Amino acid sequence: MNPTEAAKTIVTGLKGAGINLIATLPDVNLADLLREVEEDRELIHVPLCREEEGIGICAGAYLVGKKCAAIMQNGGFFNSNNAIVSTLLQYQIPLLLLIYYAGDVGDRTFSTTGSLTEPVLQALGIRYYIMRDPADAVELIKRAQVLTEDAKRPVALLLTKEVLGRRSALASL
Amino acid sequence: MKRFDCLKAVAAVAGDALVVSSAGAMTLEWNVLHPSDGNLRVRTLGLCSSIALGMALGLPQRKIIALDGDGSLLMNLNSLATIARMRPKNLIHIVFDNEVYEASGSKKTATGAGTDLVGVARAAGIKNSHWAKSIDDFALAVTAAMTGGELCFIGAKVTTERTEVPPYPIDEVENKYRFIRHVEKTENIEIFKTNLPASYG
Repeated sequence: MNPTEAAKTIVTGLKGAGINLIATLPDVNLADLLREVEEDRELIHVPLCREEEGIGICAGAYLVGKKCAAIMQNGGFFNSNNAIVSTLLQYQIPLLLLIYYAGDVGDRTFSTTGSLTEPVLQALGIRYYIMRDPADAVELIKRAQVLTEDAKRPVALLLTKEVLGRRSALASL
Repeated sequence: MKRFDCLKAVAAVAGDALVVSSAGAMTLEWNVLHPSDGNLRVRTLGLCSSIALGMALGLPQRKIIALDGDGSLLMNLNSLATIARMRPKNLIHIVFDNEVYEASGSKKTATGAGTDLVGVARAAGIKNSHWAKSIDDFALAVTAAMTGGELCFIGAKVTTERTEVPPYPIDEVENKYRFIRHVEKTENIEIFKTNLPASYG
């Protein structure tokens, strides 16, 4: 899949999982995905200035009946940690986090951010799945949404260059 | 102005609005004046305005009131830019500015050193942003906001005086469930769905 096809597939997965409000902050690798989100008239798209506010926006929308997702880079996930802990975890509010995995193996930026991403998710008790194959995206998003709703905790999907159609997959990854 | 008097003015016209209030003593005062399952107490300093924005976007037919403080809003100034960008017509953002971190030892905030939050809100793009000059002025502004159909930001300089009130009666999780059940009932919608166990489907 090319980046546009991969982005369309992910948006199809989000809508198939019932998501109807998406808060985003750009990363260059998310450009195609965010364009698809922006152009979809069925989604409420909230472009953020800082990722932590997106956690609040999604929490508020959840409390009045919306199904939400937040799309950000892992640096933005770090920015959001206080809100994730003292709002999402404290109130037991579900949220699907789609986090671009900067500093993933072979990704030539932010290796420090990459090396700390999974340990921080683990420390917070947030279950996460690394998305590699665009062919799995629709089903994985659906399953992650079921999990976050049932657990009433955030669940993270780590978006790699492979799932975003920007790099070919390796058999061992 | 005294915050408690301002909150009385809000309670007089709040009706069935959903009310999000920032961490601190203000929330306890509000809960005494206007006890309702449609109140949500925020525990993350700064997040009040963003949670209220999410509610306003998710339920555009319902008035949403954010009761914010200066210390809280200063921590999330970017929320003003996002609110201005989304421009929800049903959001009323009220900031009680006592120029100190009242709940955290009363150290001076940046508004005590000159930052003008109404000026920041207006410059962020919320055109309908005003300081209330007196308690009567404040009551008029809140009433106009409740009857009007426009995003608005109301600032009120208040004293640091607290009113003695009981502690908040419920924890965060009970607050969440009560709030959602209140929205379900008053909007006639279903938010919590009873899912069959996976083994059944």
